[in-house]
Amino acid sequence: MNFLSLAAKNLLRRRGRTLLTVLGVAISITVLFSLLSLNSGYEKELNKEVNSMGVHILAVPKGCPYEAASLVMHGGVIPKYLSASDLDNVSNIEGIELATPMLMHQFIGKDEETGEVVPHVVFGIKINDTKRLKPWWKVEGRYFTDNETDVMIVGHGLAEKQNYSVGSVMQAGPLKNFTVVGILEQTGDQDDQFHFIPLTEAQMVFNKKNKITTIAVKVRDVGKIAAVSEQMEKIPDIQVVTMTQIMGTIMNLAGSARSLLLTVIAIALIISAFGIINTLLMSVNERTREFGMMKSIGASGLDIARMVMVETVFITFSGGIIGTLAAIVGSSLIEEFVKGMLPYSPKGSLVSLSPELIAFALVFSVVLGLICGLYPAFKSSRLTPMEAIRGGVE
Amino acid sequence: MKSIIVANGLTKVYRRGREEIHALKNVDFRANEGEFVSIIGPSGSGKTALLNIIGCLDTPTGGHLQLNGAEVSGLAERDLVKLRRENIGFVFQQFHLMPTLTARENIELPLLFSHKNRGRNKIDRVLQMVGLEERGDHLPGQLSGGEMQRVAIGRALINDPHILLADEPTGNLDSDTSLMIFDLFRELNRKGLTLIIVTHNKDLARRAEKMYTLRDGKIRVCEIFS
Repeated sequence: MNFLSLAAKNLLRRRGRTLLTVLGVAISITVLFSLLSLNSGYEKELNKEVNSMGVHILAVPKGCPYEAASLVMHGGVIPKYLSASDLDNVSNIEGIELATPMLMHQFIGKDEETGEVVPHVVFGIKINDTKRLKPWWKVEGRYFTDNETDVMIVGHGLAEKQNYSVGSVMQAGPLKNFTVVGILEQTGDQDDQFHFIPLTEAQMVFNKKNKITTIAVKVRDVGKIAAVSEQMEKIPDIQVVTMTQIMGTIMNLAGSARSLLLTVIAIALIISAFGIINTLLMSVNERTREFGMMKSIGASGLDIARMVMVETVFITFSGGIIGTLAAIVGSSLIEEFVKGMLPYSPKGSLVSLSPELIAFALVFSVVLGLICGLYPAFKSSRLTPMEAIRGGVE
Repeated sequence: MKSIIVANGLTKVYRRGREEIHALKNVDFRANEGEFVSIIGPSGSGKTALLNIIGCLDTPTGGHLQLNGAEVSGLAERDLVKLRRENIGFVFQQFHLMPTLTARENIELPLLFSHKNRGRNKIDRVLQMVGLEERGDHLPGQLSGGEMQRVAIGRALINDPHILLADEPTGNLDSDTSLMIFDLFRELNRKGLTLIIVTHNKDLARRAEKMYTLRDGKIRVCEIFS
């Protein structure tokens, strides 16, 4: 027999009460664990999304609103332009692997089925640069070359929606027909919804000769993003937005939602901690005579305190195990719930179950037990044997 | 013969609100090594208070107590724990067994606190000594009153104490069972254990070698039987 088996047997004396206390802890730990695993998963997915863009820094015309960069990501149109000399200046900066110009424009098209007027976003791009920037691009059909005219690649989602196939002919811009030469395989990001045509063709069709809306920059070393963007900011016409800044904005939005959730959980944990302390005090008071007997057969105050502590940690650790398991099993349900509450959520799975997190949840449950057991253990250890035997506690 | 318990001028005052209760008034008490002593007296005469002070569960308000030749008065709780653990076994009227532990585990419990490992043999020997060799794996709920008290006696003996203190050990038992428990005490006494027993039952008390009678916190009579 040891303190552990003694504690287990003591707890089994009042199964119902023990079970309810364990459940209370389990629920708190489930919520805590889910939130933390969601938190790290969210950051991981968001980073993945940043990397999948292949673009580290965007240069946009100065004076355009700060949010311009996120407009670029989602296909808005900026009514200001950069020039070819800006591109040269950017390309000359040390540490840049690739700086490619893009012209983004909108045109109005008609939905073939409903006849509704819908805005389309078209990107004028340099095809070889883009392939380097987005090596995961694959097309059904073929890519165009930079010198071709009347050719177009369309995103997967757009092609599906508008029934485009390789060889389809469509009107875009002022009285100009394009032939779809390639359809992008699904990328899972915004590219699925765009048209792509050669840059020079775009500048001609939309009458924006030598003008560009964005310079997309890939740096050689991700760690140098800050240094490169600092250099870029010295160019007079340019406003620089790094992807980390954009993601930072999103993270801040998500952060406030999360801090609200964290507050709720902190309160839930405090309530559950008081519940545990209360249960323990009740059980300690009921067992005063028993502690008196134990003191009379040689137990010290420390022994009694240790017994109460072991019982408490037993409860919270069991709750920790059950709660963590429940969180793992129910993670998909919880994910759906939380996705609905966040202002922006990446597409991938948000739950990230790392061993460190599991270890943290379990260690936390033990610490919770140590904290909750402290007062009841102290109180029972201070009883003199006589007080205890008479059952005399205040 | 060597005195194992020597108490001189013991007083004990309890407070209940404003009222002062003098449980012991200048009590002298002495027990020799290997002696079987009983203490009788009506309720409230102070016999339990005296037993608890001798057993170091309680501290006297005044007077001196020596156990095994060493002064006990004024010792810190930490030292009293050690003293109890090594010298004294306790038996209570209500048995105070742990309901979720088997007879064997209840007897083993003090070893957990004394951090001693006496092995299975020792526990078997104790079980045999108290006549429960067949009942070791039963829970207290499955035992009779007499058997539960035997488990409690076994638990008091496992650390090899010099003195066994029993407070109304037969108070919850019928007369036949009480006799059997007293026979067990005599048996243990014959093996050299010093026994101090508080009881209401004068017939049983007379089976001891020496009987103290307490009334109103004072020793009135000390009878010695052959």
